[in-house]
Amino acid sequence: MKIFKLESSINGKKIGKEIDSSLRLVDFIRDTLGLKGTKEGCGEGECGACMVLLDGKAVNSCLMMAVQIHRKNLVTIEGIHRHKYGKELQKSFVKEAAVQCGFCTPGFIISAQEFLVKNPRAGLEEIKAGLSGNLCRCTGYENIFKAVDKARNKSSAKGA
Amino acid sequence: MCLFTNMPEFIEKYYSLAELWKNLPALPAARKYLAGGTDLVVADTCGGENSECWVDISDVKELRVVKETRDSVFIGAGLKISELAENRAVKKWIPSLAACAPYYASPTIRNTATLGGNLANASPCADGVCALAAAGAFVLLNFRGKRRKFPVLAILNGPKKIDLKKDELIEGFLVPKWKHRAVFLKMMPRKLFGIAKASLCLCYSGEEGVLKELDMALASVGPVIIRPLKTISLLKGKKLEADLVKKAVELVKTEISPITDLRSEADYRKEIVSVFLERALKEVKSK
Repeated sequence: MKIFKLESSINGKKIGKEIDSSLRLVDFIRDTLGLKGTKEGCGEGECGACMVLLDGKAVNSCLMMAVQIHRKNLVTIEGIHRHKYGKELQKSFVKEAAVQCGFCTPGFIISAQEFLVKNPRAGLEEIKAGLSGNLCRCTGYENIFKAVDKARNKSSAKGA
Repeated sequence: MCLFTNMPEFIEKYYSLAELWKNLPALPAARKYLAGGTDLVVADTCGGENSECWVDISDVKELRVVKETRDSVFIGAGLKISELAENRAVKKWIPSLAACAPYYASPTIRNTATLGGNLANASPCADGVCALAAAGAFVLLNFRGKRRKFPVLAILNGPKKIDLKKDELIEGFLVPKWKHRAVFLKMMPRKLFGIAKASLCLCYSGEEGVLKELDMALASVGPVIIRPLKTISLLKGKKLEADLVKKAVELVKTEISPITDLRSEADYRKEIVSVFLERALKEVKSK
């Protein structure tokens, strides 16, 4: 084991931490930072439950090492409400019953956040393609797509 | 989730090639480069790899640039697929990469994965390498400033086998500028985010159904990505009459050697390639 002095911004707060350099990002988030909203599902980049925003881009934290966020901005589900679409997405997922067991939900919200920032006028097919890196085994997806669409419309109407 | 983990003892991170070459000799001999990590982290997590040390090159500045010269475009090996898909020079001069990007893994893996990693992983189904090969790209290797240049497929020796010297780094790709269009077709088990059963990338120039220049690459239908040279030669400079198309779609099947595995069957893969070529040529004729 070798120590790495990690400096990063986590959910808007600057941190400096000495970490084991061979720690995966998902383990750093859950075990070191104690932010349990980020889930680990497959551990192979297939399911998207571990999604976080790194410098505004949605990435699978099970496929990255913690040292790779050095000098970068990380946002987890715990900090997503401060971002455009974030709060509306959270409300919309609840309202549209897009959550059943809830394990995949943080990952979907993170992916949807990046997708809507890049594609604020996306149609349903584009939303489906944009969320193709996330799996849900409960809902059948329809309510998730509806929730993303409604959150986008609400945020746009508010000019948030 | 894998229960048996086999991560490296430690990771060193560098921000420039100068820093990398300076520090590399002091690191343990069992070391590997970490770029995007989308293949390496999974392989190690599942116990498939075993290296004492990883050298994180994901933020090495020289690997994260696109440079345009009069005759070519240089793409740094460390650029993410999503960055390339949005790059102006890539869209203009390497349409095959732009065409393959929407089918390359998932949107979020495209935010992490790199073209250098796609080649280093030496998978016969590598979408990015297929697109580069069809565009006539070269790979630039670098070891302490000593550079070597090869056609992109020339360093592939088989599934997961690549000709790189110890510590030699894939620095980037040099893609010659030629005005062309591209068609990228990929058959997956589902509509998006899947590993190819077979894929075809065709780059071409010409008009009124005549293929003035063309190159083609096929993935998941052999031990490495294949350029079907006889088919390319048959089509080059010719007008796309029905007889020629018929000959080409038969000939291409003789130039591939797919296997039957959990993803697909060999015969089916041959048929897919044949159908894909027919579709690609139909698209060429319609332009």
